Amino acid sequence: MRQKFFLVVMACIAASSARAGTWDGVYTDAQAERGHTAYMQNCGRCHGADLSGTFEIPPLVGRFMPYWSGSTLDMLFDYISTAMPLGRPGSLSPTTNADILAFILKSNNFPAGTKELSADGLKSIRFDAVKPAKSRVKKSANP
Amino acid sequence: MDRRYLLKNSLALGATMGFGGCAATPPPAPQQTIPAKPVSTVPFMDRVPPLSLVRAHTDRLFDIKVCLRPFRTKGPNLDVEQIGDTMVVHNYGHGGSGWSLSWGSADMAVQKALSSSPKQIAVIGSGIIGLTSAITAQRAGAQVTIYTRELLPRTRSVRANGSWTPDSRISLAAEAPANFGDTWEKMARMSWKNLRPYLGRAGNPVTFCDHYRLSDTPPGQPVPVDPNIPPLPAPSWSGLPTQSADFGRYDDRIADLTPKPEVLTPDNNPFPVKYASRTSQMFFNFTEYGHLLTSEFFERGGKIVMRDFHSPSELAHLPEKVVINCPGFAARDWWKDKAMMPVRGQTGWLIPQPEVNYAMTYRNVQMLSKSDGIMVIALEYGDMKGYNNSDESVNRAEAERAVRVIEELNSRFKPT
Repeated sequence: MRQKFFLVVMACIAASSARAGTWDGVYTDAQAERGHTAYMQNCGRCHGADLSGTFEIPPLVGRFMPYWSGSTLDMLFDYISTAMPLGRPGSLSPTTNADILAFILKSNNFPAGTKELSADGLKSIRFDAVKPAKSRVKKSANP
Repeated sequence: MDRRYLLKNSLALGATMGFGGCAATPPPAPQQTIPAKPVSTVPFMDRVPPLSLVRAHTDRLFDIKVCLRPFRTKGPNLDVEQIGDTMVVHNYGHGGSGWSLSWGSADMAVQKALSSSPKQIAVIGSGIIGLTSAITAQRAGAQVTIYTRELLPRTRSVRANGSWTPDSRISLAAEAPANFGDTWEKMARMSWKNLRPYLGRAGNPVTFCDHYRLSDTPPGQPVPVDPNIPPLPAPSWSGLPTQSADFGRYDDRIADLTPKPEVLTPDNNPFPVKYASRTSQMFFNFTEYGHLLTSEFFERGGKIVMRDFHSPSELAHLPEKVVINCPGFAARDWWKDKAMMPVRGQTGWLIPQPEVNYAMTYRNVQMLSKSDGIMVIALEYGDMKGYNNSDESVNRAEAERAVRVIEELNSRFKPT
C-alpha cells in the first residue's frame, strides 16, 4: 500500500513537471487516418505502403525510432516540411504534414489521444522511442 | 571496320608475341598466314586490341540506381565553424567529383581539424568523403569515430558513376571563390597520388581501362539529342546555371596527369562508326574499394556509431570536440545550406561481363564495364541534366533507351 502511494505521488510529480512526450497521446485516430491518405498520395511511392522503405530509401519504422529518439517533434516536422517529399520538397501544407506525422506516430505504435497534433507547440513534445519511466509508473499506479 | 580486321590484327600480334616468348626453341611452322605487309600502319602497341561486345539487351538490366549529386554552387564547403565548444570542419558539396577528389579534400579537412591537436576526432557520414576523411585522420594519429545513418553499400556515394571525373559539377564558375581553381588543383593532385597505392590490388579497387568515344559526326560537333528523349523541364530556379558552360571547368590544370585523346585512324577503328578516339579512364570498383577502405578504418581502431543528426547543435554533445562534417547532400536540410542543389543522376547496370574491359561513349550514352556490372548512363543535355531535380525514383525507360543505343551499335558489326 505504501509502495502504491509512493508511485502515485511520483507519477503526479513527473506529470506536472515534464513536457509531453510521444507516449502521451499527442494525435487523434481521425488525424492519423487523414495522414494515412496523405501519406499514400505523397510518400508511399518511395517509403512504401508499410513504411518499410527500400534498399535506398530509409524506413519510417524500425531503425527510424532510435534515429529520432531523444529529439523533439518539431525537428521531425521541420524535416518533413522542408526536405520532403524528396522530389518536391516543401510543397505540402503544415496541416497535411502534421497529419502525416500523426500517421507515422501511429505506425510506430505511439498511442492516439483526444487532441490533434498541430504545427504549433511541437517543440514541447519529446520523441521517446521507449516509453519513459513516467508513463510506466502511471500505468503501474493505475492498473 | 569489322571482325575480320580484328582477327587479322590480333593474329599478327599473337604470332609476334609467341615468337618472342619461345626464344629457346624454334617456333613451330606457322599455321596461319601472316600478311606479307601489315594491314595497318599503326604500330602494334597502339592498335586497338580485340574487344568483346556488351550483351546489350534491356532484360539484362539487373539494377538501376538513382543518386543526388551533392552539388554546391560555390564549390565544396571546407569552412570551419564553432558549435559551442566543438570545432566543426566541413567537407561536403563535391557534386559529381566526390570519388575523384575525396583524398585531397580529406587532406585539407584533416589539416584544419588537427590544428588544435585533438586525440579524438568525429566524422559525420560514411560515404566516400567520410571514409577517406576518417582514414586520413587516423593516418595522422587520431582516434576516429564515424557517426552515420547509412553504411556502404547503402550510402548515396555508391549510387554514383564511380569514375575519375574530378571537375564534374564541382561548382558554378561565377559563384566559386576566386582561388577555387588553385584549391581544386591541389585537391585533385593530392587525390591522384593517394589513389596510386590502390592500383593493381586484388579485385581492382581502382583501375584503368581504355575509353572509346564514338561519333557519327566529326569531333567537336555537338551530338544531337535523340528526338524520342523528352526535353528538359523549364528551370525551377532563377539565375545560373542556364547552360552547361556555366559550370566550373578546371581539368586543363591537370592535363599532364592523363594521356591525351588519340584519334583512331580508319585502319585502327574497329567500330561501325565514322569517328572514334581513345583515352584512358580511371575508375573505382565500389565493392572492392569500399571493402579496402572500411577494413583499413577498422584495422586502425576506428569505431562506427549508427546515428542520425537533426540539428547542428547536437554536435556539441559529442564526446569528440573536433568534428569533420561529411554529410553529402544531407547538408542541404541538416545544415540549411542553401548553396546545395540536388543534381539527379541515374545509372543502369547490365549483368557483369569480365571479358569486356573498356568504356565507350556513343550518342550521349556512356558504357563502363566494372567488376559488379556494366554501367550504362544517359548523358544528353550535359551538366544541365538533373539539375535541381531531387526525384530519386527510378526511370526505367531512360535506362532501357540507353541500352538500346548500344544494342543498335552492336547490330551494325558485320558478321565474319
